[in-house]
Amino acid sequence: MRKLILLRRVSQAFFLLLFIYILWSTTYPLTGMFPPETFFTTNPSIMVFTSISERIVLPGLIFAAIMLVLTLILGRVYCGWICPLGTMIDLTGSLKKSKIIPGNSANKKIRKIKFFILGVIFVSALAGIQVAWVLDPMGIVARFVSLNLIPTVTLLFDKIFIVLIRNFEMYGKVYDVYRDLRASFLGIQVHYFASSMIIFAVFAIVCAFALFVSRLWCRSLCPLGAFYSLVARFSLMRRVVYKCISCGVCTPACRMGAITGGTEYEKGECILCMDCVYVCPVNATQFSFPKPGIKKQLEKETDTSRKNFIILLLSSLFLMGSKKKKGKGGESLVIRPPAALKEKDFYDRCIRCGNCMKVCPTNGLQPVMLQAGLESIWTPHLVPEIGYCEYQCTLCGNVCPTGAIPKISKDKKMKTKLGTAKVERSKCLAWEHKLECLVCEEHCPIAEKAIKVVEETFEGKTIKKPVVDPNLCVGCGICQTKCPVRPVRAIRVTPKNADRT
Amino acid sequence: MDRFFYNLECFLKQQISRAKFLKILLGGLLLFISNNTFLKYAFAKSSSSDGRPKKKIKGSHDLVVSEGPDPYKNTVKAVEGMGGMGRFVKNSDVVFIKANMSWDRSPEQAGNTDPEVVAALIDMCYKAGAKRVNMSDNTCNEARRCYDNSGVADIAKKKGAHVHFVDSWNVVKAQFSYNSPMSNWPVYKEAVECDTFINVPVLKHHRLTGLTLSMKNLMGVCSGTRGLIHVDIGRKLADLTDFISPELTVIDATKVLLRHGPSGGDLKDVARMDTIIAGTDPVLTDAYACTLVDREPMSISYIKSGVQRGYGSADLSKADIVKLKS
Repeated sequence: MRKLILLRRVSQAFFLLLFIYILWSTTYPLTGMFPPETFFTTNPSIMVFTSISERIVLPGLIFAAIMLVLTLILGRVYCGWICPLGTMIDLTGSLKKSKIIPGNSANKKIRKIKFFILGVIFVSALAGIQVAWVLDPMGIVARFVSLNLIPTVTLLFDKIFIVLIRNFEMYGKVYDVYRDLRASFLGIQVHYFASSMIIFAVFAIVCAFALFVSRLWCRSLCPLGAFYSLVARFSLMRRVVYKCISCGVCTPACRMGAITGGTEYEKGECILCMDCVYVCPVNATQFSFPKPGIKKQLEKETDTSRKNFIILLLSSLFLMGSKKKKGKGGESLVIRPPAALKEKDFYDRCIRCGNCMKVCPTNGLQPVMLQAGLESIWTPHLVPEIGYCEYQCTLCGNVCPTGAIPKISKDKKMKTKLGTAKVERSKCLAWEHKLECLVCEEHCPIAEKAIKVVEETFEGKTIKKPVVDPNLCVGCGICQTKCPVRPVRAIRVTPKNADRT
Repeated sequence: MDRFFYNLECFLKQQISRAKFLKILLGGLLLFISNNTFLKYAFAKSSSSDGRPKKKIKGSHDLVVSEGPDPYKNTVKAVEGMGGMGRFVKNSDVVFIKANMSWDRSPEQAGNTDPEVVAALIDMCYKAGAKRVNMSDNTCNEARRCYDNSGVADIAKKKGAHVHFVDSWNVVKAQFSYNSPMSNWPVYKEAVECDTFINVPVLKHHRLTGLTLSMKNLMGVCSGTRGLIHVDIGRKLADLTDFISPELTVIDATKVLLRHGPSGGDLKDVARMDTIIAGTDPVLTDAYACTLVDREPMSISYIKSGVQRGYGSADLSKADIVKLKS
């Protein structure tokens, strides 16, 4: 009976499904059982380094501290039993049986890389730059689930139903079931995210590492793993082997390469996957808390040589140098979500989890690619061609785990400027072609209408032409979304005069 | 890489038996059959429509105007004044109610049809023996927020109506016997293929056309780029009304948005009029509603176009109008 392994797999499956469920329920009207930012507020790497770099105390720190206490008791149990990316990596790894098994010295080298990465993140955070998001496992897997997996699955369901209903004339029960599904579980709109293939590629590469060496990402690169590893060194739960026969079976069987031989192992690397308990031919291995009376084995300190330290400092410095210097105002090149922080603070605070884009009911929030510089990659911006900012909706602020988009009240949201709209008279149907249109004015959500009408008599007809009042306009972009002029809309929103907090 | 090319060559050079050849052929055929285009030609019905049949049901009067503080009772009285719902809804009919629930606004802000009016109509439909009442609207704001905040979807579901979000693929192409700017416009199938169509607009201000009335409310059953209906809107809405030809039109003037329509948002712009207008001729019903807010009916482009093309009359002096008060 491999009870413990079965238990681990159940736990992994449960937390993966929970993760997907939480992101799936991150949609209007936000009635999931768990808050949408659960997996990010319990992530110490994100919470600690964002707090340091932004000089704030995030409320999520308390959950992160609970996770660290758990690690202090049980070890890196998060990596082996909870982490959704770890589960996906394990699943990918199981596709290939024969993998490279690095020797002890190779293992020692590759596991150092992640501490180095953690060091760079820490030094940058001290300097006020948050780069913890770049390799954060929660971010990678959350972006994949929110921006790739859920749109794909909903699209697939939608297409299958449509093909069935349209072609086989199932306008009765099947159509009703489809529409009920759409109203509840599928969502009424299949979301689309620009350039999401690149987001998928990052996730796929991370998982594909496991095809060569088991859990290579977790062993060598994961900064969250490094963080937990530093704490797990002092954890209470440890692996003990009574009457070891030194057969050497467990060393290559360890998926983290943590067992250095027989009874010896790197405590900080062990993710308690329980494999070694069951491969042991004499059933001598077990995990237990230390009993009083047995002396604790002294742990070896990690050796950070002077050379490594200098490389760390230099690379951190280069990272700071690559940062774009901006003026005090922080002019943005793209339309940011309502009341987002000032541009520099915004892309430092944003951890690119994709929650805001997932929750946006009109699908208007899209990942930035390189339009606003490399440092803004995958931050959210509003694309009015795809969707506008719903006037009375405050969902994006409510799901942001770090407060890059603050939580604001409905009344404040309705007064918050995202930018300013402008009519392109050379394209406008009314101005240029003297036609009836005024769709932009019709849709303008401001109570006293930010789009005013100028009347002109042309060949005996009264033509009503739209003009934007920049003082009233909040830049929600509904005019641009609904404008019937193609391919370039005749009314466009620019991030001019946006209210940033 | 070499191994890959070797395998590829082996695969290409292998001998294919007759059985295997037939299997491949069959597989290809199956793949072709499962293709959407093929299925559409083989099974799906034609996706164009010549419009709903014009039943030309006459009410007891041309128009019934009912005034009173309770919108529910008002609606019941107005429809009963027309001769009762039984005249329009026969036993086991499928009814489509097109209420205005296009805006993310609360009922007080008067951007949408009053929920009580819709509730009254659904109750009467089921009493008259309707098999099913369908409701949907191609909303201007995000559909879920509109349905929830307008309060219409909530009360309609309670009364047993089927409220659904529109499907952009479930449309028929409108065909006309005459030349029309609306020809080939995609219109939602459910709205066209019902037995009884009840149009329940709310009377409110609209900058381009002057007022939003029953003919303008029919824009909510159109798919496609809705903004383009605004170009030459009078003619297009008149033809659309001819295409749909609603059996019953009930205009809700309980709370009227006088300025900054059609979305509104400011309670100062809303006036209480406590009036329900019921009629069978959409043009005449619209024309009467204009007089409530002191507008000349012929100044509204779609009413003018409707009269010119002979889809209805806007001559209120000749019409048989009954006013009920409570």
